[in-house]
Amino acid sequence: MPDILCCYKWVADEAYIRSGSGGDLDLSMADYKISDYDKNAIEEAVLLAEQHGGTAAVITVGLPDDTKGIKDALSRGPEKAYFINDPAFVDLEPAQTASLLAAAIASPIPYDIIICGEGSSDLYAQQVGPRLAEKLGIPCLCYVQKVELNGSELIAHRKSDEGLEVVKVSLPVLLTVVPDINNPRLPGLRDTLAAGKKPVVEFTAEDLPSIDTAALATTATKAATIKRNSRLFDADAAGIEELVQELKNSGAIA
Amino acid sequence: MTGVWILAENLETGRELITIGRTLADNIKSDLTVITWQSELSQEYIAYGADKVLLLPALPQDQPLQSYIPVIAEQARQDMPEIFLLTSSLLGKEMAARIAGQLNAGLGSECTALRWIESEAALEMDRLFYGGAAVQSIRCSHAPRMATVAPRSYSPASRQEDKRGTIDELPAPQPSPVKLLERNARSQAAGDISEAKVVVCIGRGFMKQDDLDLARQLAEALGGEIACTRPISQDMGWLPEDLCIGLSAKKVKPDLYIGLGVSGQIQHLTGIRDARIIVAVNQDASAPIFAAADYGIVGDLYEVVPRLMQALSK
Repeated sequence: MPDILCCYKWVADEAYIRSGSGGDLDLSMADYKISDYDKNAIEEAVLLAEQHGGTAAVITVGLPDDTKGIKDALSRGPEKAYFINDPAFVDLEPAQTASLLAAAIASPIPYDIIICGEGSSDLYAQQVGPRLAEKLGIPCLCYVQKVELNGSELIAHRKSDEGLEVVKVSLPVLLTVVPDINNPRLPGLRDTLAAGKKPVVEFTAEDLPSIDTAALATTATKAATIKRNSRLFDADAAGIEELVQELKNSGAIA
Repeated sequence: MTGVWILAENLETGRELITIGRTLADNIKSDLTVITWQSELSQEYIAYGADKVLLLPALPQDQPLQSYIPVIAEQARQDMPEIFLLTSSLLGKEMAARIAGQLNAGLGSECTALRWIESEAALEMDRLFYGGAAVQSIRCSHAPRMATVAPRSYSPASRQEDKRGTIDELPAPQPSPVKLLERNARSQAAGDISEAKVVVCIGRGFMKQDDLDLARQLAEALGGEIACTRPISQDMGWLPEDLCIGLSAKKVKPDLYIGLGVSGQIQHLTGIRDARIIVAVNQDASAPIFAAADYGIVGDLYEVVPRLMQALSK
């Protein structure tokens, strides 16, 4: 009966990013969402709990206002949320987030398996999961695409640079999962209503040791425009022949 | 303090890291150390520019490469390199994050450019974020300043005939709690899209799996490979994950990329930004891929592809 804890991040939706004056990053129009791959992490936690009769809970670090994310996460099936929040938790770097998570988990929060997404859809630094495992001193398996759990032993299929590795480890363990591990469920109205009644345990800065000073300083951010000439050709035979000629002239095709 | 360290996983990305590592070592007037577990490459790394090689002993069969992490972290704790670079492969990114976690080090992930800022004794790193919709520059001023470097960000170092260096062995790691049961190389049935010269990419504009033959025929006519967007491999399951292009999947750099029914989500565009020529075919004139394409055709791919095949056969 494993206790499964899933970490997620509440992030600005990159679809709303605008390039402001001088190419500055403009997030003023941004809506927020659960980071894409964290939805797979939540789904896997819930699936494992359903299959093995354990518990699934979520944990996140954010600003006190990020309660919409808590409700969204709980509507996806976990039965409890741990919410580490403080007005000072703005633009935390991965090391700081991992330290806060580690401190809260050590407080203690019960776990046998911790699941993280392979990276967040904002920074995509892919550091919080592995750093958290090191802080907790537990084994870490990254890029997992399939999990088999037999009692206290876990077998994971993980993506490697050469292909695939199958590895075995005893619990506790931290996993980071890739998007092809599952298809996250879409919460219905009933799930959303139920989410509002689930317990939320809060941690604030006072409950935890002070966070490490930032090791990284951001010196510039800019909207990255992937912009090319966008020359359009007609969809008829003549237009397409013209395109083929152009591709030949440019040397793209022989 | 020691100078610049790099962890070389193979000769190809190792030589790229040597290029930037050598530059940074010269900037800080120090030496360049290469860490490797491939003893046969130790002399090679010296020939390509390393002053020193730290060789990790071979692992037992059932131990994954991640077992080296505690040994590397411990050596870094003792020697405290000013700068420590790894490549942003899956293995490199995991090792870097875990070593940085043990050392409380600042780490820039998947950087595309690195610079030494003398006045602040800082390593400045450029990287993409928000799925490639934005770039950031970050600085780290405390050793070990760590970064993973995106493959192909730097050209491979050239061989120097008279280069000398030393080779030292690192201690063997303790047995890892993670046991390797099986290692499967990727099936070679499909070509590797990251090396293909022509990529024909399948997007949601395809209505059923049988229709993918249309893309296959076009790829064949052009001597290229087929690839797909995330929904095609993930939601529809029509093609294997290996053929998926995107931020968290494959990145491609062909001479020619043709997107068929691809809308152009930012994560996908990030995966094709190094393509020399991008052609987009999509019914929806407002699809974001058109802005990122060199050439576009607004039209039904089911009509456009056969015409394209015909025009190519002329």
